[in-house]
Amino acid sequence: MRQDRTGRPPAEWCATPNAMRLNRLVRMSRRDVLLGGLGLSVAGLLSPAQADTQAPAEKDSEVGRFMAVSQRLTDRDVLDSRIGTALYAGIVHANPNRAAKVQALHTLLEDSKPATAADFARAAEHADPALKDVIHEILTGWYRGVADNKVVVYRSALMFDITKDAIYPKTYAAGGPFYWTSKPPEVDRPTGSPALSPSPFVIEPT
Amino acid sequence: MSSEQTLSADVVIVGSGVAGSSIANELARAGISVIVLEAGPRVDRQHFVDNFRNLENKPSYQGPFPAVPWARHPPNQMTPNEYLHTTGPNAEAYQQVYLRMMGGTTWHWAGCAWRYLPSDFELKTRYGQGRDWALKYDDLEPFYYQAEVMMGVCGPDPAKEDLGSPRKQPYPMDALPISYAAQQFRKLIQEKTPYRVVHEPQARNTRPYDNRPTCEGHNNCMPICPIGAMYNGGYSVYHAEAAGAKFIPNAVVYKIERDSANKHVTAVHYMDPDKGSHRVTGKYFVIAAHCIETAKLLLVSADEQSPNGVANSSGHVGRNMMDHTGVQVTFISGDKALWPGRGPLETNVIDNFRDGDWRSERGAYLVHMVDDNQVDLATQLAISKGYVGKELEEQIRYLAAHTVRLFSHNEALPDPENRLTLSKTNKDILGIPHPEVFYKLPDYTVKSCEHTRGLFKDLMGLMHGTDAQWTPGYFPQDHPSGSTIMGTDPKDSVVDGFCRTHDHENLFIASSSVFSTVGTGNITLTVAALALRVADTLKKELAHA
Ligand SMILES: Cc1cc2nc3c(=O)[nH]c(=O)nc-3n(C[C@H](O)[C@H](O)[C@H](O)COP(=O)(O)OP(=O)(O)OC[C@H]3O[C@@H](n4cnc5c(N)ncnc54)[C@H](O)[C@@H]3O)c2cc1C
Ligand code: SF4
Repeated sequence: MRQDRTGRPPAEWCATPNAMRLNRLVRMSRRDVLLGGLGLSVAGLLSPAQADTQAPAEKDSEVGRFMAVSQRLTDRDVLDSRIGTALYAGIVHANPNRAAKVQALHTLLEDSKPATAADFARAAEHADPALKDVIHEILTGWYRGVADNKVVVYRSALMFDITKDAIYPKTYAAGGPFYWTSKPPEVDRPTGSPALSPSPFVIEPT
Repeated sequence: MSSEQTLSADVVIVGSGVAGSSIANELARAGISVIVLEAGPRVDRQHFVDNFRNLENKPSYQGPFPAVPWARHPPNQMTPNEYLHTTGPNAEAYQQVYLRMMGGTTWHWAGCAWRYLPSDFELKTRYGQGRDWALKYDDLEPFYYQAEVMMGVCGPDPAKEDLGSPRKQPYPMDALPISYAAQQFRKLIQEKTPYRVVHEPQARNTRPYDNRPTCEGHNNCMPICPIGAMYNGGYSVYHAEAAGAKFIPNAVVYKIERDSANKHVTAVHYMDPDKGSHRVTGKYFVIAAHCIETAKLLLVSADEQSPNGVANSSGHVGRNMMDHTGVQVTFISGDKALWPGRGPLETNVIDNFRDGDWRSERGAYLVHMVDDNQVDLATQLAISKGYVGKELEEQIRYLAAHTVRLFSHNEALPDPENRLTLSKTNKDILGIPHPEVFYKLPDYTVKSCEHTRGLFKDLMGLMHGTDAQWTPGYFPQDHPSGSTIMGTDPKDSVVDGFCRTHDHENLFIASSSVFSTVGTGNITLTVAALALRVADTLKKELAHA
């Protein structure tokens, strides 16, 4: 019995879940190729050197327009353009007509120079109800870190940035033993109101 | 194609989950030769952690664990499901999930480690419902403790918090300090209701234990603890292998061979992923393949000698399917911030409804206030409500701090009509039929769930809750049981009180499939205790052989 243990079992087949995960990664890189075929600017995704310099995306590039729209919709002056590049690629990959919709949002932004995200979103839905879906996708991208039903970033999603005084993203706790017994921050009831009309909320199946 | 040389061991075990691997470990440590045949592959934790982080739908507990084609498991809890087919009036309530891979389903359990109550073993005698088990709480008590030591269970001091299951020894580890959210919930229940919230016993380290670290509160016990602070079957596999047990992965058992008298099992046969067939002989055999797959294997093994399946002279293999089918609601508390999701997922329970005279009328239940990180849900909800910019950020914080989720485990009863059969239309790549389950919730359970709904409404009121989202219908709790039911009468049960099949003297079953009733506590500590009792029986019999 005992000597059998030392060697790997004779039947170690290759298609383990680990290998299956690799297969998935291979599929993902095929997707990148497809994106390239669509003529999108995914250079920021593919070239680490360029990403590292964190050069502000060019104002008149597609990604540049996406960043401008995103900054207004999040009421933030600073967003990571590397993440923005990946989000934009995902959003347009899922739905190629989004390129035109982002362009439309950008035109609206330039024309009306809204002072807040809420003003911008309200005006957009008023101009074209279909813009609501794109706004949802952009916000889902930045806050959940998800585009095209795929995780673009996990820990760096804005939802974790704005709650980091209270809680850790799952699998990334760093509070020390039994940190959870301590009192987390109080949160006042918000006074703001929604800018867009409500949409059905569908909990994904487990 | 078949293997040239026959494998053989004193004890051959099918399945490497908690049940199979803990028996293997005990026997190997006693110098007994053991082969464990595991349908799925060897796996490692880090890949599952990576898969989880890359998963868009984080609450999908099956998501990080893709199945291999030769050992499929249910991909999700949806009906229809591509693997576990469910039918009947409550088909969707029986969408159990489980895993088929080395170490088994506890890769993504939550570590809740309850002992059953003494009354849970005597439901018929005490309340005239269901059945009695063919053993008593006291028979299992020493093995409960052995299972708690094996897994590393933390729990409260009975002098301070008596959970109703008498103990001869204290828990191996001190109770886990509960989160701020759970503390507030406990206070509310204590001050505003006649009920109580207790510390849940958990297979989770409150100090370094068994070379595994103390829990760090990653809040990801389901689907994957990133650091191994929570026990899973994989650890019993490591220990058993170190003690000399042989584990063969990707070995899908599909046939149980008997002698000409049909009294004695002589071998089991497994297929490798290339459909090569292999025969494994032994003195004793233990089927520990999880409730669903164990019954399936006995049925698949039908032949001329046993046309209804192995160990099935009673006709009860696959019948009496049970679960803790429950109720679930998520709502927004109007009280102070709780920030659930700091610390482990499941730590506290309302245990007042685990037993009482009303059990002659309706099923018992227990309630979890699930301590789940709600940031992602809050974000999705706030976006769908139409918030943007600064207002969106305020909403996310508020909702994440105030979302409360309650769910219950409600007691089922063994009903022979609730039945697992082999699919006539669906087979896997090896040609083995998929499992199919007909399920109708017993009235006993429906009444119990109604009671729970009432309680949840009251609790929501006490917390000034709004935006209630009730999970539609009933909520499967992944505690399938009953498919090879235990009893004293071979005419209406499959195994005896020692989990030995009535029909075959050297064939044992180690699984929740032997449960005669299902109580309320999560099932696995009882599965492990029964398995360790099987190991004890085998050790004694092999010593005398
Ligand atoms: C999401 C989730 C959360 C849970 N949380 C809890 C909890 O907190 N507390 C609790 O007590 N319980 C919990 N459970 C239940 C718990 O996981 C099971 O009770 C436990 O895993 C049962 O152990 P087992 O060894 O009987 O079966 P498993 O762990 O399922 O192991 C059975 C093994 O047999 C193998 N097998 C199957 N068919 C064959 C075959 N034909 N040939 C060879 N091998 C085969 C499988 O691949 C598998 O590895 C949870 C379950 C789920 C799904
Ligand atoms: S809370 Fe984190 S560390 Fe603790 S058991 Fe759960 S996943 Fe593991």
